[in-house]
Amino acid sequence: MNFAELLRANQAMVFSLAYHFLRDRGAAEEVAQDVFLRLYRRMDDLKDARHAIFWLRKVTSRRSIDYARKRGSRFTIALEDTAEPAALDQLGDPLLNRRLRQLIATLPEKPRMVMVLRYQEDLTPEEISGVLEMPVRTVKSHLQRSLAMLREKIERSMGDIR
Amino acid sequence: MEDFERQLRNALAPKEPPPSFEANVFAAIAAQRYARRVFWRWAAAIAAMILLATGLGVRHQREVRERASGEAAKARLQLALKITVTQLSRIQQTVQTSTEE
Repeated sequence: MNFAELLRANQAMVFSLAYHFLRDRGAAEEVAQDVFLRLYRRMDDLKDARHAIFWLRKVTSRRSIDYARKRGSRFTIALEDTAEPAALDQLGDPLLNRRLRQLIATLPEKPRMVMVLRYQEDLTPEEISGVLEMPVRTVKSHLQRSLAMLREKIERSMGDIR
Repeated sequence: MEDFERQLRNALAPKEPPPSFEANVFAAIAAQRYARRVFWRWAAAIAAMILLATGLGVRHQREVRERASGEAAKARLQLALKITVTQLSRIQQTVQTSTEE
């Protein structure tokens, strides 16, 4: 397990976690870079690649939440909101995707990170509970509430568009 | 529900970082290493200066102490000689007086 390999294999995961949480490319890049600098210093403590990935998810989540807290309510327009990359259009309805990302961004910090870990990383509630150090029941409750809220809002907003 | 969850997965599909990301991380690591090296160099230089100053200080203090104890011994010797001279003069006077008588 060497640092360069870990960086190459996990940069998209780390960057995306921060990006989907913060919705700001510059901030996501800053957080991701900081996470990899920390990883470089901690390389000796990590047992194997699986442990490193768990550590990366945990530290990225924590650093993204800290960054959002420090940033406060300062709103930045993500590049993604001004133009959707062509490649993403193949992944379902781009308008719906963008609306979903906007709605996820309105969730409080912890439920937002739970949603990102669940639907970006495909983690189970048990795995999310380990990453965010919160009880499984809390993770499940965040997921249920966030899903219900998102469904309701998306149905309402898509109804408005139609 | 499954369809909605699929849509969420699409919306949160992983994204590639900028192409310069990897190079930026390595550059940041190099900068951090350089900063740490510079820090340790300064720390070593400062530690050496402190050691040198402490050594010189200790030596100076020892010299001052030795000079002071030398001065004290000299003063004691002078006093002892003074006392001896006084005593000898008295004895000489006594001897002279008894010889004249």
